[in-house]
Amino acid sequence: MGKQGQKIGKLFFLFVVISVIALPVIILQAFFVNTDNALAKVNKAETADFDHKAKQLFGTYNGTTPAYMEGNSTDRTLDYYYSLRVYPGSPPFIPHDLADGKGAGYECLSCHERGGFVQAMNRFTPVTPHPQNTSCRQCHIKMVTKTLFKENDWVSVRPPKLGRSALPGAPPPIAHALQMRENCIACHVGPGTVVPIRVEHPMRGNCRQCHLPEETKALFTRNPK
Amino acid sequence: MTITRRDFIRSMALDSAAVAAFTMFPGISFAGWKPTDLSSDSIQWSKTPCRFCGTGCGLLVGVSGKRAVAVKGDPNCSVNKGLCCVKGYHSVQVLYGRDRFKTAYVRKNGKMVPTPIEKALDLVASRMKESIEKTGKDSIAIYGSGQWSIPDGYTASKFFKGCIGTNNVEANARLCMASAVTGCLTTFGLDEPMGCYEDIDNADVFITWGNNMAEMHPVLFSRMLANRKSKTHVRIIDLTTRSTRSSQAADKSFIFNPQSDLAIANAICYEIIKNNWVNQDFVSKHVSFYKGKTHIGYGTEDHFKFKDKGEAVDFNAYKEFLKDYTPEIAEKISGVSAENIKYLAALYGDPEKKVTSFWTMGMNQHTRGTWINNLVYNIHLLTGKISTPGNSPFSLTGQPSACGTVREVGTLTHKLPHGVVMKEKARKLAAKIWGVPESNIDPKPTYHTVEMFRALDRGEINFMWIQVTNPMVTMPNLRRYRNGAKKDGRFIVVSEIYPTPTSDVADVILPSALWVEREGFFGNSERRTQHNEQLVPKPGEAMCNTWQLIQVARRMGFEKQFPWKEDSYIEDIWNEYIKFHDTPKHRMAPYKLLRERSGVQWPFVNGKETRWRYNGKYDPACRDDTWDFYGKPDHKAWIWLRPYEPPAESPDREYPFWLNTGRVLEHWHTGSMTRRIPILHRAVPESYVEINQEDAKTLGVVNKSLVKISSRRGSVVMKVSINGRGNPPKGMVFVPFFDESYLINEVTLDAFCPISKQPDYKKCAVKLEKV
Repeated sequence: MGKQGQKIGKLFFLFVVISVIALPVIILQAFFVNTDNALAKVNKAETADFDHKAKQLFGTYNGTTPAYMEGNSTDRTLDYYYSLRVYPGSPPFIPHDLADGKGAGYECLSCHERGGFVQAMNRFTPVTPHPQNTSCRQCHIKMVTKTLFKENDWVSVRPPKLGRSALPGAPPPIAHALQMRENCIACHVGPGTVVPIRVEHPMRGNCRQCHLPEETKALFTRNPK
Repeated sequence: MTITRRDFIRSMALDSAAVAAFTMFPGISFAGWKPTDLSSDSIQWSKTPCRFCGTGCGLLVGVSGKRAVAVKGDPNCSVNKGLCCVKGYHSVQVLYGRDRFKTAYVRKNGKMVPTPIEKALDLVASRMKESIEKTGKDSIAIYGSGQWSIPDGYTASKFFKGCIGTNNVEANARLCMASAVTGCLTTFGLDEPMGCYEDIDNADVFITWGNNMAEMHPVLFSRMLANRKSKTHVRIIDLTTRSTRSSQAADKSFIFNPQSDLAIANAICYEIIKNNWVNQDFVSKHVSFYKGKTHIGYGTEDHFKFKDKGEAVDFNAYKEFLKDYTPEIAEKISGVSAENIKYLAALYGDPEKKVTSFWTMGMNQHTRGTWINNLVYNIHLLTGKISTPGNSPFSLTGQPSACGTVREVGTLTHKLPHGVVMKEKARKLAAKIWGVPESNIDPKPTYHTVEMFRALDRGEINFMWIQVTNPMVTMPNLRRYRNGAKKDGRFIVVSEIYPTPTSDVADVILPSALWVEREGFFGNSERRTQHNEQLVPKPGEAMCNTWQLIQVARRMGFEKQFPWKEDSYIEDIWNEYIKFHDTPKHRMAPYKLLRERSGVQWPFVNGKETRWRYNGKYDPACRDDTWDFYGKPDHKAWIWLRPYEPPAESPDREYPFWLNTGRVLEHWHTGSMTRRIPILHRAVPESYVEINQEDAKTLGVVNKSLVKISSRRGSVVMKVSINGRGNPPKGMVFVPFFDESYLINEVTLDAFCPISKQPDYKKCAVKLEKV
């Protein structure tokens, strides 16, 4: 009975594993028969919220291999991550060399859309959460000097704290604004990510089943004046 | 939102606490910024239009502890739908440059001495009075800009034109979009584009005329790319004199010889007629034909005068005129092959394709700027591709309120907020609204910008008040005008936020409040009025430009015309100003609505914005539901017969290169703001001269070699850039003008379009020497 049960269990487990692997492939094919049209719908979406973009996000999720999701070979720290920005959420500058003529079209996306290992830089590429925007250097620019024209007294807020769960062990809320950063797995999953914000359970996919944005700090009140 | 002195002191305390907190935790290193002790939860987000270009992106500025600390794109703003460019994202850093003017300065024995602002304003008023008494009202002038908030420009116009009675009111927008204005007026009788940014989502073909949108209007450019990405058939065609980032992203890029856009546009029309692509129904109902003067000059001499005169002609005369512009002839003038010109004509001519043309400085800063504006309108009129979604001849602006403050308020010598000074009806309306005698308003325009600075040099003007602009970097043939401003007996007042070459020549510097340090309005390229609240306190004694003008006006005895209180004057000015535009052709949105929404387009009629003017389907000012070009007395748009004429100065044996000037993505205009934003400066720390590889080889220079660029007017030595971001063709060099250490405008020529009086910064002859 015990042995029989184990066998059935094993078979069942195998079936589940095959299904898990096969299902995304089937779904993927269904979604990406016409990439242009699919993208068109995404680009046309007037609202930028999760409810309208989730299909694209799941698409990206499905397109990411389990091996990549579990990859962990980065040396990126949070300090380094913030050193490329001037306030939490500002577009990071480009920390690597590139030919000045490039960047008006799709060149940046050839690495930053899907990620992967770059021999020349000996590291994994971070993935952009908004590959639908293709004029990359509209916002991301390269530094060529460290000097200043005039000193600036700029300060900004502290970066958000990590792991602020409401209860011990509860899933933490989303610590940043979601605008242009809707695609969780781009920054939180894979070997190119920043270590402290890499998730341990990327296979779950539906991130926002547990992690919620904080739209307000206020508590519920009845009939607010 | 008003900020009291107490709030301000509290915020100062908070700032120092923040700095203290930072020094207490040296272990935490944030290379990107100094963190305050405030968490990101403390941020309050408020909407504002961006401070920089004329796109008019909506921003959400995050304020924490009375300081602006972050920026997001405003998803509710239909202009940018939540996306900005790198300047917008870092714009709030411009508030915190360490060398901000926080007090007034007055020149005493050649030195600038800090002075309480009230005393400085006393001095400004007394010097103005003195000049008026001694040398007459036309010896004083105000020079503002398209960065003036609407109340600034309105107050300046009311003060100078209505109260003092001089038409010496000009703005740097004269250097930026005057040709767009005269182009609109001559073709349609009313100013500003008929379309809106929704055209970008609807067009099948984009043709950009001398317009590097990837760098100058990046948000609109990426919206165009998004449209192309979402539909497989969309094409972007770049017509340019130099290869740019926009050329790289375009499907095709055609390089033409400077000034030859005139020939190309006419050749396109020739082909459209030849191939029967004319929209006959549209043309017969909505278009008339006019011929203007030719050989109209270049304005390089003082006291230059020109007045165009339109003579009505018919379609056959137009057809006859175009015989001089076959694609083959245009090829010879322009260097663009006849085949490619035919391709362009086929795109415009295809009745199935919706075509949008974009242009900015390439067409406006042009000694035939009005003409080339007319000629591109001709193409859209011949094919009837106008005022419907996706069909749009679209002139973009470079400054946040070039449309709002200069074109709509009319801060130019010949203009009033509604109509021109020459028209009695317009003077009557202005006098009535302003509460001044009609005789106050002078019916004769005085000086346009270039002539105004010439008059300053000659001494006819001896007092000039410059607000929010940097003419000592931007005037063409700069050396003459800087020397003029420095002459004895000239008194220059500069309202500024940072030291610039213009504040260097000032006798009084008034510290200005900037952007979200005060309340105001901008008006963008698509007729959108955008309100901004005051979000952060003003530094030190800095004062809003409007309030500076009101203070001086009151000191000169015009209390009655400027009765407003400090906590509500912006609203009061808005309510007074919109009386000028109270018709279905130009009605503006009420104050309350502008506070609520991320911009509202005018004409705002019966609670609805007008997306496309001149088309009855969208514009309630039209007579019926078809096109009605109601700006002209015959209710038609005018096709103008405008020939090709050569530029004022072309390369010759002695000066064999074209000099072209312009901007880069990271810096905005003269860089007095963007250079103080660390990330932008670090990306492009200094200007350079782009040289074609072959020319560089002949000269024997490599990247970063020094060359001397000289013209008949001046010279500058700077570093070479070969195969950099932009690549000029053989025989042309390009220099970005943002860097005050390399004043390229000492080299440029002060030739201008005789109709618009806008100078041409894109074409003059220079020679290069290896240093």
